[in-house]
Amino acid sequence: FRVYPTEAKMRPLDEQETTQVFEKLHKFVGNNLKNIVENPSHEGTDNTPGRYCFRLQRNRVYYVSESLVKRATNVKRDNLVSLGTQLGKFTKGGKFHLTVQCLGLLAAHAKHKVWLKPTSEMSFLYGNNVLKGGVGRITESISDHDGVVVFSMSDVPLGFGVAAKSTQDCRKMDPNGIVVLHQADIGEYLRMEDDL
Amino acid sequence: MGKKKQKIVLPPDLPPEVPDEAVEVSDEDVLFVSENREYTGFLSNLDTKSINKHVTRVADVKEDELESLYERRLKKKSLDKETEKQGLEVDPVDALPVKTLDGKLYYRTVPKATQKSENEDKDEATTNNKEAGIDASVVRLTKAEKRAKLKKIRKEAKKQAKEGTEVEDVEQIPQAEVLDEVRNDMTAEEANQKKKFRLAELGTALLTDPESNIKSLKEMLEISKDGDRDIAVLSLQSLLAVFRDIIPGYRIRLPTEKEQEMKVSKAVKKMRFYESTLLSAYKAYIQKLLAVEKQAVYKRVAVRCICILLEAVPHFNFRENLLGAVIRNISSEDDISRKLCCATVKSLFTNEGKHGGEVTVEAVQMIADLVKASDCQLHPDSIEVFMSLTFDDDLGRREAQDAKNKFKSKNAKRKDLKEQKESAANEKKRTRKEMMSKTREEVTTELKAASLATDVAERRRMQTDVLSAIFETYFRVLKHAIKPRSEAGFSSQPAGSYPLLTPCLNGIGKFCQLIDLDFMSDLMNYLRKLARSGNSSDGSSKDVSACLTVSERLQCCIVAFRVMRNNLDALNVDLQDFFVQLYNLLIEYRPGRDKGEILAEALKIMLCDDRQHDMQRAAAFIKRLATFSLCSGPAESLAALVTLKHLLQKNVKCRNLLENDAGGGSVSGAIAKYQPYATDPNLSGALASVLWELNLLSKHYHPAVSTMASNISMLGTGDNQIHLSNKSPQQAFKELSLEQDSFIVKVDLNAKRKKGNASLKHISEGADLDSTVKVDENDVKRKLSEHYSLLHDIAENERLRGELVGTTLSLNLYEQYKKQKKRRTK
Repeated sequence: FRVYPTEAKMRPLDEQETTQVFEKLHKFVGNNLKNIVENPSHEGTDNTPGRYCFRLQRNRVYYVSESLVKRATNVKRDNLVSLGTQLGKFTKGGKFHLTVQCLGLLAAHAKHKVWLKPTSEMSFLYGNNVLKGGVGRITESISDHDGVVVFSMSDVPLGFGVAAKSTQDCRKMDPNGIVVLHQADIGEYLRMEDDL
Repeated sequence: MGKKKQKIVLPPDLPPEVPDEAVEVSDEDVLFVSENREYTGFLSNLDTKSINKHVTRVADVKEDELESLYERRLKKKSLDKETEKQGLEVDPVDALPVKTLDGKLYYRTVPKATQKSENEDKDEATTNNKEAGIDASVVRLTKAEKRAKLKKIRKEAKKQAKEGTEVEDVEQIPQAEVLDEVRNDMTAEEANQKKKFRLAELGTALLTDPESNIKSLKEMLEISKDGDRDIAVLSLQSLLAVFRDIIPGYRIRLPTEKEQEMKVSKAVKKMRFYESTLLSAYKAYIQKLLAVEKQAVYKRVAVRCICILLEAVPHFNFRENLLGAVIRNISSEDDISRKLCCATVKSLFTNEGKHGGEVTVEAVQMIADLVKASDCQLHPDSIEVFMSLTFDDDLGRREAQDAKNKFKSKNAKRKDLKEQKESAANEKKRTRKEMMSKTREEVTTELKAASLATDVAERRRMQTDVLSAIFETYFRVLKHAIKPRSEAGFSSQPAGSYPLLTPCLNGIGKFCQLIDLDFMSDLMNYLRKLARSGNSSDGSSKDVSACLTVSERLQCCIVAFRVMRNNLDALNVDLQDFFVQLYNLLIEYRPGRDKGEILAEALKIMLCDDRQHDMQRAAAFIKRLATFSLCSGPAESLAALVTLKHLLQKNVKCRNLLENDAGGGSVSGAIAKYQPYATDPNLSGALASVLWELNLLSKHYHPAVSTMASNISMLGTGDNQIHLSNKSPQQAFKELSLEQDSFIVKVDLNAKRKKGNASLKHISEGADLDSTVKVDENDVKRKLSEHYSLLHDIAENERLRGELVGTTLSLNLYEQYKKQKKRRTK
C-alpha cells in the first residue's frame, strides 16, 4: 500500500473542518442535516443503536458508525484504505469537495432534486452539465447555487451538482440553458476508477 | 246641511243587513254624545271613510248587487289599511301579474264599479310594475300596453279628483268635534293621496312624451322631499322608473360657452334644453338618493334605486357616484342591500357591452381601494364578485395578427406604387380608374384596421388595469393573512378571521393563467407560508397566524397546484413543500370540522393528477392514506382509498407494501424502520411497513369501503389491469356523502334480514322491523352493560393495585426506618 504524504492517522474532524463539511452538506440537504447527524446506526452487536460519526483519514472524510470505528482500530493504520461511506476529501488547498460516494446519503435526504429525461441521462453521466431541455422535472423553490441531486425519471440517483439558475428563472430560459452545473456523477466509478 | 238630511232620509232604503250605526244617528244621540264626550273617543278610531262610503254608495246601488259590493268593500278595506301602512306592500293576489303563453304580462284589475279601490290597485300595479322590473326584470310590458295602462290611470285620477269633492261633502257628520279630528286625518290622507296621484300623472306624462314634459321632473323631485315616508319612497321609485326609461343611450355633454354662443336651429335648442334639464334633474335625484342612503329608514330603498339605475344606465353621467355608493354597500351588514349590490356589480362585469368596460375598471379599482381601506375585514361577497369577471385571452393574439396584416398591407402598397409607375407610363386613362378604386379600397381597409387596432389596444389596456387591480387585492389579502397577528392588531379583529381568504384563493385559482410569471415566485412563497402556518409542530410559526383552518390550508395547496398546472410551460415543477403540507394535514383533518370536498379535491389534484412521484413519497402517502381512512367517515375514507389505489397502480414498486413482509428489503432506503410521526414523507420510511389497515378496512361496515379495500389488497397478487376504475376521489366522496343519509336505513335493513333468518321468521313483515329494533336495543344494552362493567372492573382493579403498591411501599419504608434506628442505637 502506498503511504500518503499527509498524516495517515484516523481522527475526528476538528472544528474548522467540521464547519466546512457541514456547510457543504447543508447546501444539499438543508435542515435534513440534523437527520444525517442523528441517524441511529443498527450496526454491530449492541442492541442499543449507536451513532454515526465523521472521521478523517488520509484527507478523506468518512461517515462511519461508531461500532465500525471501534472495530477499525484493529487494522493497522497504513493498511486501512477506507471505511464506512466516503463523503468527500480535502484538497491540498484546504478546500472540501464532496465525492460521488456520498450520493446515496445525499439522495436520501436531498432537498432540491432534478429529474432527467431518459434521453439526457447519458450526457450527464459523461460529465456534462444538465441543460433545460433535459430536465424532466424540477423541485420548486430552488435558488441559484443550491446543491441539487440529479435523478433519473425512475428515481435512481445519478449524481449531483450546483443549480445555475433558480426554478423561477429556469422557466424563462431557452432549452439550451444550463440548469445544473455538474459536480459528480455515477459515471465516475468507471471513468475515474483509479482516483476514487 | 243638505247632505245631512239626505243621510237621515236614506236609512229606510237600506236592507236590514246594513250596519246600524249609520242608521241610528238621531238627535237623541247627538245630545248624548255632546253630554258624554269621553265616549266619543271610539268614533275617531272608526273607519269613517268606509262607513261614509257604505252609506253613500249603498244608496246608488241596486239591492241584488249589494252582496258582491260588500265583499269587495271588505277586500278594499284591508287594502286601504295596507296602503296606508306602506305604499309598497300589496295584496298578493293583485300584485302577481299573469304571464300568458306568448310571454305578455297582464295585471289583474278590479272592475270599475269600485272606483277608489281600483285606483289604488292601479297605483299598486304601477309600483308592481316597477318592482317587477326591479326584482327580476324578467319581462317588461310592451310600450303599447304601458301606454294604455297609463291612460287608464290618468282617467282614474281625474275621476278620483271629482270623487274627492264628493267625499268631502259626504263627510259632514253631525258630531262637530269628531268631525274636526276626522277631517284633519282625512285632509292629511287626502293630501297624500293627491300627491300619489300627482306622481302617477306626472310619471305617465313623462313616459308618454318626455320631451315636452321634461319640466315635471322637478315637481316630482319636490314631492320626493316630502316628510311622509311612503310618499318619499313612492316618489323615489317612480322617478327611478321614469329615469330608467327616458335616459338616452349616450352620455350627455353640456355645451360649452362657445357652443352656447353659436347660433343653432330650433330643434337643436330644444334638444339642448331637454338634455340640460334632464341632466340637472338626474343630478338632483342622485344627490337625493345618496343623501337618503345614509338614513337607516330609507337605506334599502335608496340602495335598490341606486343599483337598478346603475345596472340600467351604466354609461350615463354621474355613474361614478352611483358606483361609489354601490361599492360602499357591497359589504354592508344588511343582507338584502349587500346581495343587491353584489348582483349589480356582477351584472356590470358580465354585461360589459353596455358601458364598454370602463365601469368594470372603475368598480374593480374601487373594490381594491375598499379592501385596502378596511384592512381586509370585509364580507367575503365583496371579493366573490370578481369571479364573474371574464377576460379575453385572445386579445394579445388578435393584435399580433393585426400587426401582421398591417405589415402585409404596407407591402401591398409598395407593390401598388411600383405597378402604378409602370402603368402610368403605358395607359394613363385606364389605370386612373383602377387606381381610384384601388386607393379607395385601401383607404377603407386601412381605416378599418386602424379603428379595430385602437379598439383592441384600448380593451387591452382596460383589461390589464382590471387584472392589476384584482391581483393587487388578492395579494393584499394573502399578505394580510400572513401577517403575524400582533402586527395586525389584537383588538380590532377576532382571532383567526380571514373572511376574504377563501374567495381570494378561489379567485387566484380561476385567474392563475393570467398572472405574470414574475409574480409567480412571490405567489408561491405566500401560498407556501400560508399552507405552513398553523403547523403546530413548528415552534416558530406558532405565533405567526396559527389560526388558518385545515380547509383553508388545503385550499392553499390546491391553488398552488392549479397555478403550477396552468403555467406548465415545458418545465415540470415538483412542489415538494406542498406535498409535505398535505401529508401533515391528513392527520389534522377532522371529518365534522373540515370540508370533505376540499380534501377530496386536494387528493385528486395533488396525488392523482400529478404524473410521477418519488417511490418513498408515494409509499408514505399510501401508508398515511390507509391510516387516515381507518379513522374517518365512509365518504372520506373511500376518497382516500381511491387515491391509494391510484397510487398503487402507478407505483409498481410500492406494491410490496401489500405483502406481509415488514422490512421492505432493499427498496426501503436509508430509513430502516417506519416512523409514523415523521413530518416529511420522504423520511417516514413507509416502505418498511405493511398495509395492515386494508385488512381491517375490508371488514368496514360500509360495503363500498370494504369492497374497495379488498380490491386493493388483491392488487398485489393478480393481474390488476382488469379493474382499472377511473373514479376520482371527488366523485367517490360525493357519492358517499349523498348516500350517507339513506345509508343508516340500509344498515337497519341488513340487520333485519339477518335477525329475521335467525329467530323471527314467524313474525309478520310489519312488526318485524320494530321487534328487530327492540331486540337490537336490548342486545346493544346488554353488550354495553357488559362492556362497561368490564371497564369498571378494570378500573377497580387498577385502583386496588395502586393501593396495594402504596401500602407495600410504606411498609418497606417503615422497615428501613426501623433498620436505621437499630443501626443508630447500635
